[in-house]
Amino acid sequence: MASTKKQVSKFTWKEFKKQKVLMIWAAVFVVYGLIFCYIPLFGWLMAFQDYKPRTGIFGSEFVGMEKFTQLFSDNTFLEVIRNTLAMGVINLVLTFVTAIAFAILLNEIRLTIGKKMVQTISYLPHFLSWIVVTGILHDVLASSGIVNELLMNFGIVDKSVNFFAHPEYFWWIVGISNVWKETGWNAIIYLAAITAIDPSLYEAAAIDGAGRWAKIKNIIIPGIMPTIMILLLINVGNVLNAGFEVQYLLGNGLVQSVSQTIDIYVLKWGISQNDYAIGTAAGIFKSLVSIVLIVVANQLAKRAGGERLF
Amino acid sequence: MKMKKLATLLLAAAMLTTGFAGCKNSDSGSKDTEGGIKEFTAFYAVPGTEINDDNEIQAKIAEITGATCKETWLTGQTASEAIGTMIAGGEYPDFIDGSDGTAALYDAGALVALDEYLESGDYPNLTKFWSEAEWDKVRQDDGHIYWIPQFGNPYEKSMATDPAEAFWIQTRVLKWADYPKIETVDEYFKLLEDYNKANPTMEDGTENIPFTILCDDWRYFCLENPPQFLDGYPNDGSVIVDPDTKKIIDYNTTDTAKRYFQKLNEEYHKGIVDPESFTQSYDEYIAKLSTGRVLGMVDQKWQFQQVYDTIKQQGLSEEGCNFVPLGIRIDKDTPNQWQSEDAINVANGVGISVSCKDVEGALKFLNDLLSPEVRILRGWGIEGVDYEVGEDGVFTRTDEQWANVSNASYKASHMCPYSYMPNYTGVLEDGINASDPNQQPTEFYKSLPADVQECLSAYDCETYSEMCGPINPVPGPWFPMYSFSNTMTTSTPGGTAWTKMGEVKHEQLPKVVMSSDFEKGWSEYMAAYNECKPEDFLKEMQEELDRRIEEAAKHE
Repeated sequence: MASTKKQVSKFTWKEFKKQKVLMIWAAVFVVYGLIFCYIPLFGWLMAFQDYKPRTGIFGSEFVGMEKFTQLFSDNTFLEVIRNTLAMGVINLVLTFVTAIAFAILLNEIRLTIGKKMVQTISYLPHFLSWIVVTGILHDVLASSGIVNELLMNFGIVDKSVNFFAHPEYFWWIVGISNVWKETGWNAIIYLAAITAIDPSLYEAAAIDGAGRWAKIKNIIIPGIMPTIMILLLINVGNVLNAGFEVQYLLGNGLVQSVSQTIDIYVLKWGISQNDYAIGTAAGIFKSLVSIVLIVVANQLAKRAGGERLF
Repeated sequence: MKMKKLATLLLAAAMLTTGFAGCKNSDSGSKDTEGGIKEFTAFYAVPGTEINDDNEIQAKIAEITGATCKETWLTGQTASEAIGTMIAGGEYPDFIDGSDGTAALYDAGALVALDEYLESGDYPNLTKFWSEAEWDKVRQDDGHIYWIPQFGNPYEKSMATDPAEAFWIQTRVLKWADYPKIETVDEYFKLLEDYNKANPTMEDGTENIPFTILCDDWRYFCLENPPQFLDGYPNDGSVIVDPDTKKIIDYNTTDTAKRYFQKLNEEYHKGIVDPESFTQSYDEYIAKLSTGRVLGMVDQKWQFQQVYDTIKQQGLSEEGCNFVPLGIRIDKDTPNQWQSEDAINVANGVGISVSCKDVEGALKFLNDLLSPEVRILRGWGIEGVDYEVGEDGVFTRTDEQWANVSNASYKASHMCPYSYMPNYTGVLEDGINASDPNQQPTEFYKSLPADVQECLSAYDCETYSEMCGPINPVPGPWFPMYSFSNTMTTSTPGGTAWTKMGEVKHEQLPKVVMSSDFEKGWSEYMAAYNECKPEDFLKEMQEELDRRIEEAAKHE
């Protein structure tokens, strides 16, 4: 008994030594994960307390689910959930479709230099911070900005439109600015997937008389389908991360009922109003919904027999 | 397997300890440098400009007081966010002014009680900075004093030259109409309309914007609070106090409020109110004013002070693009109470945090900052360099000295006002010179742009303040009530109502102004407003008003 045990341990030790470098790196990330992802979960206790910074987590009184009840009886929070979901879905659909379409179109360009140039220029906006992008948006959409100039010159409108004063435009402004900023960047991964497709397939299709459209439909799209599915799954889990900076910076009093996201709500109540408990409760809710979304999406993918995460 | 676990644990432990050690090291606290000069840190939750580390006057003050203070200011956040983040981190600079987050700092136990130190007599300048009755107003519900209000304290007499809030108008508009007397909202907008009809553009062809409204985040008071002044009441900020009946009145629902917003609605549809008012950011607003296109607005002068400099640099003073204040009301016979005498604002002040390791030293520093020679250094600078002394003891500045002190890089490397530390306004200890050079009577008029000089003399006034109207005595011991509403948090029903009212007003008032059917817009606004339970808020305000009157009675 003792000898087997010794043997097992000796075997592990040897194995461990062999993979020493890998183990050290793995350990670094395990520790990183523990410190930054798991230890902070301890703070979730605040959501069940009448938390006061003076008394801290150990001294504050437990109030059960009271903060959650308060949260869900607040109309603003329900509005905020709606906004987050709406903007999350709009962002997801728009950026997804445009990135795939863009990658396929770019792939069809024969002139290498033109292709490289378009690709480089199109992913540059990704490196701009949102504060810069919102500045640009404010200028472009201002009453004397380029968009209004164009609309007026083409006679589509006769008076300049104040885009930020209309709640019904806000989600789309956010969605389109996301497209502008991220399409080029997101297309890179699809372009890489397209490059990985076996060239002999194209040749075979050409011999069968397939044109460009037929090649896209029958070779490229099925070829990048696994990539699409995996990215879709990851992004579905991210739907509730619909953004913070862009809504925070673009919003104003007139559109606040459609512009605020869960993250802004957490900041406003948790930090500005000093009600850490309600901020934490909102954060927990967001995490739970994200987990549910990702599990559901994964199950659907499993049913459809496609790629999945777990 | 065991070894692996052990290694992970060891590593984790190592990282954790380094992590904690890191926290310890970054602890704030005063340090003694070689010369025995103490170094303090300060954070003020208001926008401001940092000065250089090798600032000359700061070094001079350090020679006298034996200490310096590195000051940092709010950038890119609201005060509550910055303070909330600090509380969550649990570490503070030595000195802290929380602005809107002051109550939160107190709730979090982040401030040191100062009353025993102040009563000890070791800090005479500080102790006598406020009267006993005033110090009592700053006491929190546990009976202690946690912060020192630093403003609104004139030495001997007030030398104020600027009103805070007013309706502002460009001098070119008044000049065009031959400097008429403008007293009411209707007259004000009529003048803007007439002028804009006759002169739709500036000299270079840029179109005028007759009236714009600053509405960005917390600065939206420029939209919502004029009804209290128009009705002839002073700036209690969040409510009107009837000085006779001692009752709280909600200025959001008065007839005057409705009339004012109806006026704005009409003017909006006439194209007089800037359609971008409600969506522009503060920066865009300042940029707009700086072009000289905007004929008028409601604002507090400190918010657009820098516009005077940019107008000057662009040579727009000759065109008459500088702003002067008008103390207008809803009707001619309503009293003009735009300006009040200085009153202590008990809601804010500079406090000493629990992270400070040398509370006595910090208080001694504040005490020394109030000594006569340091007050001169903070306000005027160095004799012979920043100002000259005449034979009669009157301080003056040459044009070159004025140019120096309005230069940003000179200010950063040379001037050190410690502007958020306690300081008197009014005059210096000599009783002759103003504490703030900008308020020195001989200097003030000289420093005005030409068009403002012309305009003021046409109205037979010497300062902006005189043009705006009388400076009224403080109406009662409760003034100003905003020092209470600023400390409200969502932990009480009144505070919750106050927060919600703010949100509703911020969204609905622009809608009311833009609405094509004013009556409908107004009734929708009122419906949403009443849902916030304003009565909870008003009840708590009334209780505080009664409490303040009672407290004041004890000192009589």
